[in-house]
Amino acid sequence: MTDTTIVKTAFFAAAPKTVWAFLTDKDKLGQWFYPPEADLAEGQDYALMGAQGDGKAVKQCWGTVQRMEPPWLLVYTFTIAPLGGVMTTVTWRLEDVQGGTKLTLSHEGVGAAGAAALGLLAALDAGWDRHLGRLRECCSR
Amino acid sequence: MSPDVQGAFRALADPTRRTILVHLSHREMTIGEVADHFEMTRPAVRKHLKILEEGALISVHPRGRDRINRLEPRGLKSVADWVDHFSRFWDERLSKLQAAIEQEEEKSND
Repeated sequence: MTDTTIVKTAFFAAAPKTVWAFLTDKDKLGQWFYPPEADLAEGQDYALMGAQGDGKAVKQCWGTVQRMEPPWLLVYTFTIAPLGGVMTTVTWRLEDVQGGTKLTLSHEGVGAAGAAALGLLAALDAGWDRHLGRLRECCSR
Repeated sequence: MSPDVQGAFRALADPTRRTILVHLSHREMTIGEVADHFEMTRPAVRKHLKILEEGALISVHPRGRDRINRLEPRGLKSVADWVDHFSRFWDERLSKLQAAIEQEEEKSND
């Protein structure tokens, strides 16, 4: 699996500081992602909490906020439970454009993290290797 | 993000369900056979299997009075393809962000 970076851009008819608030503010993050336990802060760990099947809130995504340059740049490490603790990096860049904000998301390290996570599963049980072999057959059909 | 992909994320988030998948990678099993591997009640196991089924990681086939649980390699293929997975994840998140910001702007224009 190659280490591909996912890049997404979106335009918002709102000022950069409004968009910034939605990326970092506890309550606003909860409106479109999962709510963290506190507002994001540089150098701090964060955890986005979401309900699971039994309604109990569990960590959905977590990591450490590495850089905050309001309202232009936000960088944090990011993982989810299926990745088994292997970290990826999410970067949000905001640009002031006519009448609004251009937001660019880069998500790096996903391919490597996925490979590592599947490696953990393989380590759990040799049967998994056999399964992945079957998987490759299915995928190449 | 398609419901399957979101469901697969959810299904894989739990270590017990990941272990169930490993067991099912050996062979298909009834609920009772899966339960034999865990210190859990049968209804608790059934709930985990239901979530795995919703994530399209397993399929359930009636056989007589039993329900046979089978690993779905195709469902796992979509999970193994992490890049595509996250790509769709962010598409959905960004469209939610778009909606949330629009709502906020409408409020401030009132």
